[in-house]
Amino acid sequence: MQYIRPQTLDEALDHLDRQGRRTRILAGGTDLVVDLRSGDAKPEFLLDVSRLPELKGIAATPEGVLVGAGVTLAEIESSEVLQRHAPALNRCSRTFASRQVRNVATIGGNVAHCSPCGDTVPPLVIHEARAVLASRRGRREVEVEAIASGPYACALPPDEIIVRFVLKPAAGITFADFQKIGRRRALAIARINAAAMARQEPDGRIAFLRFALGSCTPTPQRLSEVEDHLIGRHPTAQLIWEAGSILAERTIAITGRRPSTVYKEAAIQGLFVRMLAPLVTT
Amino acid sequence: MESPFVRIQFVLNGQPKSTEFPADTTALRLIRDILMLKGTKEGCGIGECGACTIIVDGRAVNACLMLAAQLDGRTVETVEGLGTPEALHPVQEAFVREHGVQCGFCTPGLLMSTKALLDENPSPTRDEIAAAAAGNLCRCTGYHHIFASIEAAAARASNKD
Repeated sequence: MQYIRPQTLDEALDHLDRQGRRTRILAGGTDLVVDLRSGDAKPEFLLDVSRLPELKGIAATPEGVLVGAGVTLAEIESSEVLQRHAPALNRCSRTFASRQVRNVATIGGNVAHCSPCGDTVPPLVIHEARAVLASRRGRREVEVEAIASGPYACALPPDEIIVRFVLKPAAGITFADFQKIGRRRALAIARINAAAMARQEPDGRIAFLRFALGSCTPTPQRLSEVEDHLIGRHPTAQLIWEAGSILAERTIAITGRRPSTVYKEAAIQGLFVRMLAPLVTT
Repeated sequence: MESPFVRIQFVLNGQPKSTEFPADTTALRLIRDILMLKGTKEGCGIGECGACTIIVDGRAVNACLMLAAQLDGRTVETVEGLGTPEALHPVQEAFVREHGVQCGFCTPGLLMSTKALLDENPSPTRDEIAAAAAGNLCRCTGYHHIFASIEAAAARASNKD
């Protein structure tokens, strides 16, 4: 295995153009080094993009909130721009693995690894985030949901790299949260994770809601039936429970009944109710 | 398959180093088996226990999750750089005084997590201490004395400022 650290994005794209199929991209390495150790990953080339300036930076711009693919979880955690414009993403970074991992792991690596449990994916999905991709063939954008074609299966061609994410800003939202259930608080791989944001009118009515669930389906996704059940209505405890029930039913419709369903059905609903309880005004 | 060698230069515990190793070498293997600094421990080897915590450019990281090649040009601190038996670092002193050590296997990692925390934030809250130490497992102490040690080290660090 050969280690290559390009100085510019152009150099990285040149390498991927020639050797993409035989290369693994190292963004932070906190997942990839584990796979190298176990033998699950045996690339001929490791392309270390962790220092590329083109993959860095967080900014609120008229076209959206830009988050570089090489931004670490620790940088997301301490970003005032994201606290204001993507609060669910900021919250997810606080419970992501451990301090040691957050200091190295990147958002681009978390997304490209395509774990169904990737904690940054539900917060990106509620912002209808798009990934800006670069290759020698040019640039294009895809929805974040389109990057994983299944668990640990990346749909991106081997000559392409994620440069940054573009998030729709959370304009005027009054509520945002990220929650997960794991075996312990730190370092747990999520059994269930979810992100939500909402805008409530002064009278309590839900004017806007985005909700995405991770870890339960092959790839994290938004569930529009759940959003539609709540948008335009005054949230009562009963309404939130109903929406949680719809969420659990929809999830099981996707995955089929499994041995874990007895637990997950109740836990998905419970997590949803716990998360959205602050919306209840009466 | 053999990995071609990589040559890197970095600063280790204040000393410039130039060294080479096969490309698939982790930072932990470089430190323990090539540079023969045995203070940094291998527990799980997959980033869950924190026994291998070192400080790279001021930030605590798991040496088992990093390739040694990633250290090129960086400033690295291991537990050997903290203090000597004759002159302990204040964080080490606090762990001794507050009985933060039992078997000692997790201790180097906890010392490095504590140093990184206090260098950045000399007066952390209890929640901030918990967040900084959550990536370091200890199977002996139940953490009570470790918290007390970190709080004692913090009290000294913030008095100094």
